[in-house]
Amino acid sequence: MSHAGERSPAATLTLLDATMVGIGAMIGAGIFVLTGLAVETAGPAAILVFALNGGVTTFTALSYAELASAIPRNGGGYAYVREVFSAPVAFVMGWTRWFTYMIAGALYALGFASNFIEFGHIFGVSLPGGVLFWAGSVVVAFVTLNAVSTAASGSAETLITLVKILILLVFVAFGLQFVDLGEFEPFFRRGNPLTVLPAMGLTFIAFQGYDLIATVTEEVEDPERNIPRAILLSVATTVVVYLLVVFVALGTLGAEGLAGAGETAIAQAAEGFMPRFEPLGSGAALIAFGAVFSTISALNAVVIGSSRVAFAMGREAQLPVALGRLHHRFGTPLVAIAASAVVMLVAVAVVPIRVVGNLASLFSLLGFVIVNLSVIRLRRQQPDLRRPFEVPFYPAPPVLGIVLNLLLGAFIDLTTWALAVGWLVVGAVVYLLLSRRRGEPAVPTGEPETEISDPEVTVPTED
Amino acid sequence: MTESLRVIVAGGGTVGLRTAELLDDRGHDVVLIERDPDRSERVAAEYVASIIEGDAARPAVLRQAQPDRCDAVAAVTDDEATNFAVCMAAQRMAEIRTVMRIDGDPDELYPQYVDGIVSTASLTARVTVNEVVGGGVRSIEEVGGRVEILDIEIAEDAPAAGKTLAEVRLPEGSLIIVDADGNRIGGPETVLEPGERFLVAVEGAVTDEVMNLLRG
Repeated sequence: MSHAGERSPAATLTLLDATMVGIGAMIGAGIFVLTGLAVETAGPAAILVFALNGGVTTFTALSYAELASAIPRNGGGYAYVREVFSAPVAFVMGWTRWFTYMIAGALYALGFASNFIEFGHIFGVSLPGGVLFWAGSVVVAFVTLNAVSTAASGSAETLITLVKILILLVFVAFGLQFVDLGEFEPFFRRGNPLTVLPAMGLTFIAFQGYDLIATVTEEVEDPERNIPRAILLSVATTVVVYLLVVFVALGTLGAEGLAGAGETAIAQAAEGFMPRFEPLGSGAALIAFGAVFSTISALNAVVIGSSRVAFAMGREAQLPVALGRLHHRFGTPLVAIAASAVVMLVAVAVVPIRVVGNLASLFSLLGFVIVNLSVIRLRRQQPDLRRPFEVPFYPAPPVLGIVLNLLLGAFIDLTTWALAVGWLVVGAVVYLLLSRRRGEPAVPTGEPETEISDPEVTVPTED
Repeated sequence: MTESLRVIVAGGGTVGLRTAELLDDRGHDVVLIERDPDRSERVAAEYVASIIEGDAARPAVLRQAQPDRCDAVAAVTDDEATNFAVCMAAQRMAEIRTVMRIDGDPDELYPQYVDGIVSTASLTARVTVNEVVGGGVRSIEEVGGRVEILDIEIAEDAPAAGKTLAEVRLPEGSLIIVDADGNRIGGPETVLEPGERFLVAVEGAVTDEVMNLLRG
């Protein structure tokens, strides 16, 4: 008898690989797709937006690092919350994380499509089909790839990410000489510092990729030490790269230009000052190439991430168990991948990119609130749990993480909230149907603690 | 079945760590309790279980492993009294399957209190006998009281070699269950071909008789 469901991946990812998994997802799309959108909302203060988001994310990243070092499970945030909270809370976490990855996938696919078409323009080729066509195609291509092969090769992903970083650093190196500080005046759009907050909500998804590291923990070497390091290193590196790139883009193209360029903002900034690179051609071509490359690798990362969460939930019977099975021939969670693909395609087809970004950010924020709560609750519930990495200055970072994430969530528009609530209602229906089928009470009545009367303890006192 | 269990393993020595590894290999979730910081660090490096650092026999420590959410507790420290205490405490905290490790002779009343007993002494003895005697006969498992399941290869010149089961009279207290490939249930027409292996359930008292028939 073969136990296909028990196949478990080998520990093959080094600290560098694991760090690159996180950076790959974060630098993937946000920087190319969201920079223009952030500038449109906040003006030159977009640079402050990214700096503050980096700060907010760091608090949650610390929480992730502590949980990942103490709880050896694949499945990311969902697995940790499952350890700490009752089933319904874990379900909400898993349900929203799953959705976040799928939405992020849609966002990356759309970003890919715009930049791919731009890439064609640079070479004077008019590609047939619109943005939707290319976005849909790339989703189908990567879902198929992930459905038939488990070889999400760590070293290939590492190489791709290093190339991305290199392209961006080339952009920064050339651009720094042309930065005009005058472009940063006035710093706040319409002189209003509050425009920073909605822009933060909009672009928050840019910094949510590091939790992908937590979905592949069992594949990392020396995981109890390397995973916390990889999480923190990837956040730090990403924030630095973002700030440099946004600084250069703002200082060269200016806020108005960037805002007008939308998803291809960075490529247009590059056009202004980059020399030619043979055989690629102009600087814009190099950046467009980087963007196409990056959005593809980020898309690949979230396809893996989303299927892992659905798979973990299926195994715990929190979603239909078919999602928690590996395919007998391919050895991949085929049903989980296919289900993710359907939602991604729907999001690509019907939801505008700005709403897609908002929705993904909102669910990220909510998920991160629960993760921070988990750290606090786990410290109380299991004080003697071995924590190879501990959040410094506890409890300040998780508390700040909760407060700031909620604050940012409050600045996301009502349409997005309505869509979010809609998805949660769908989740509630699924949950109730599944728990009825399992024959369990849907909501446990309080903590199931066995009552044991306290025995009398006589403490000897010295007279 | 892909449904995973949640198991508490009390004791992070060699036995505890190996138990946790095997459970993790099969996709189950493990919470391990270990008192000694050096040993718990060793287990942490394996990354197969979350670890509660403390004395598992203390209810305040055991409760942190959340027995009410677990399917089983395996108390496998090298101290029998601790293991028994862990099982008893876990049972009072939750409905949970209890398995304890003993090193010496078992207290005959243990089966009334715990669901499973692992005797390291008899396990070691059985494996030792398997290794010493070699390939022909392997003890698979002690079912409970006196019955053992043996994996026996029919020897070339054994009395029963080449005969059907109808022709051979196995002693009362023994039963050929299935050939070792697991393909055929033993029946009257089953031929005991030399070189083939069979799983045989044997009561201790007739073991040598069965051996004589099948091994010569």
